[in-house]
Amino acid sequence: MVGLVGGGGWRVGDDAAGGGGGGAVAAGAAAAAEAEHMRRLHSHAPGEHQCSSALVKHIKAPVHLVWSLVRSFDQPQRYKPFVSRCVVRGGDLEIGSVREVNVKTGLPATTSTERLELLDDDEHILSVKFVGGDHRLRNYSSIVTVHPESIDGRPGTLVIESFVVDVPDGNTKDETCYFVEAVIKCNLTSLAEVSERLAVQSPTSPLEQ
Amino acid sequence: MAAAAAAAAICGEDETAARVGCTGEWAGGIERVDLGERKEAVAAAGAGKRSVYLMDCAPVWGCASTRGRSAEMEDASAAVPRFADVPVRLLASRRDLDALGLDADALRLPAHLFGVFDGHGGAEVANYCRERIHVVLSEELKRLGKNLGEMGEVDMKEHWDDVFTKCFQRVDDEVSGRVTRVVNGGGEVRSEPVTAENVGSTAVVALVCSSHVVVANCGDSRIVLCRGKEPVALSIDHKPDRKDERARIEAQGGKVIQWNGYRVSGILAMSRSIGDRYLKPFVIPKPEVMVVPRAKDDDCLILASDGLWDVVSNEEACKVARRQILLWHKNNGAASPLSDEGEGSTDPAAQAAADYLMRLALKKGSEDNITVIVVDLKPRKKLKNIS
Repeated sequence: MVGLVGGGGWRVGDDAAGGGGGGAVAAGAAAAAEAEHMRRLHSHAPGEHQCSSALVKHIKAPVHLVWSLVRSFDQPQRYKPFVSRCVVRGGDLEIGSVREVNVKTGLPATTSTERLELLDDDEHILSVKFVGGDHRLRNYSSIVTVHPESIDGRPGTLVIESFVVDVPDGNTKDETCYFVEAVIKCNLTSLAEVSERLAVQSPTSPLEQ
Repeated sequence: MAAAAAAAAICGEDETAARVGCTGEWAGGIERVDLGERKEAVAAAGAGKRSVYLMDCAPVWGCASTRGRSAEMEDASAAVPRFADVPVRLLASRRDLDALGLDADALRLPAHLFGVFDGHGGAEVANYCRERIHVVLSEELKRLGKNLGEMGEVDMKEHWDDVFTKCFQRVDDEVSGRVTRVVNGGGEVRSEPVTAENVGSTAVVALVCSSHVVVANCGDSRIVLCRGKEPVALSIDHKPDRKDERARIEAQGGKVIQWNGYRVSGILAMSRSIGDRYLKPFVIPKPEVMVVPRAKDDDCLILASDGLWDVVSNEEACKVARRQILLWHKNNGAASPLSDEGEGSTDPAAQAAADYLMRLALKKGSEDNITVIVVDLKPRKKLKNIS
């Protein structure tokens, strides 16, 4: 299954020493690439009462497969296990589209209203902003990017998800980050499982050969 | 639990003993036997009374369940009469059994299982618990029974802890795909998760036999015993802000965060459950177990999901359940079926109590799924005989 490269490191750069068996040079190169993606695509400017963080996931599936899941703004339930239902207002999918998301029980929320800020099929960038809902995430903004990489000599995908959000009254920055990261980790783990399952099923997948 | 430790070896008179249901009506009028009065009980046995360990125990229960105001139904419940035989040595010491003239190695007591499972993130794990817990528990009891003979004096509580811990762990392992399970209606055996990693369920389970009630709890469903008009909580909710639970989670490197109430990682509002593998090792399936000798003034057990307990106190639930059972018998006494005829089905009086509690929770504004099981520990057959 998916390795959390570097002994469970989720944060960018955590995996510099681990590498998927590619040796220190390759691992160093991978870390440098991650850092470059971060600098170019995930630069948030958190305010005084905000927190921000980024998580990475290495997936053993080709980038087009992973991107097809990530880009489906109208169907986040294809991989996000906390989503029970999603409806896009108006129907047409375009920048500025708003989705109404219902989340499953067992979470500190039941609904979330989210706007599509950016969908770039060339660079593989998805950016979403939370604009409503009964959760406590005010001014939440996230960026997900996917990048091709080689995992054990096979086509794989590096996913980076970063966010910035207000720290709610009564919580610390640490707590807010911890909570959001726990949700994102669960989503990325599920994204990896779904992608890898699809990769095995897909006849064009090199993994099958 | 000192008061609860009564009745380890209550005896009833022979002729009634054969006919009483789950303990309770002692026609001979032996009042409550406290711990330490075993000698009296033994003497009584010698005087032609019959040990509680030899009594049959007919299950008498009612169950009510509703989706309520929630969009999905994720509660499940189980009532399985005679699901297993319990080796008597898990309930009494060899010395006491010898004194009662009972065969400590051979005697087994029929036991009934009741459980409430409150799912979250989906109903799959709750439904899986409903189908599997009693099967796995029965297997664990058989396994332990085989080994008991070779052991010396057994620590009964420790064994019950062990049996239920193994049972819940096994079901949790099956749910997460760590061990194999039967899939596709019995055709295949495979290791694959039952469902997504963010689906879980509480489990509160009561094993009822003629001498004891053994309770195992994991999560924030609850079981309350109504004893002599007083409520006795037989489980303590596993909430993340419980001091010991919080310490356990933090020792594992986890965090309990106040995020619309205290939650593990800010997400889950209970500290133990079956499933929820994305929150391991912080959220664990290990149950807390309580072994309760039954007493003469035990009225009923109430097992329920938090859809009831969020709006109805233990005390009120007990009061209401007692009153509804008595009321039913007062109104329908003559029509009351003998409990041994009702074997394997619900009892109308206990059912009336469960229904009433469920409606009461709805009326009080419960927003959640509501599931209530009422187990009548005091069969009212005598009422019928009188009427």
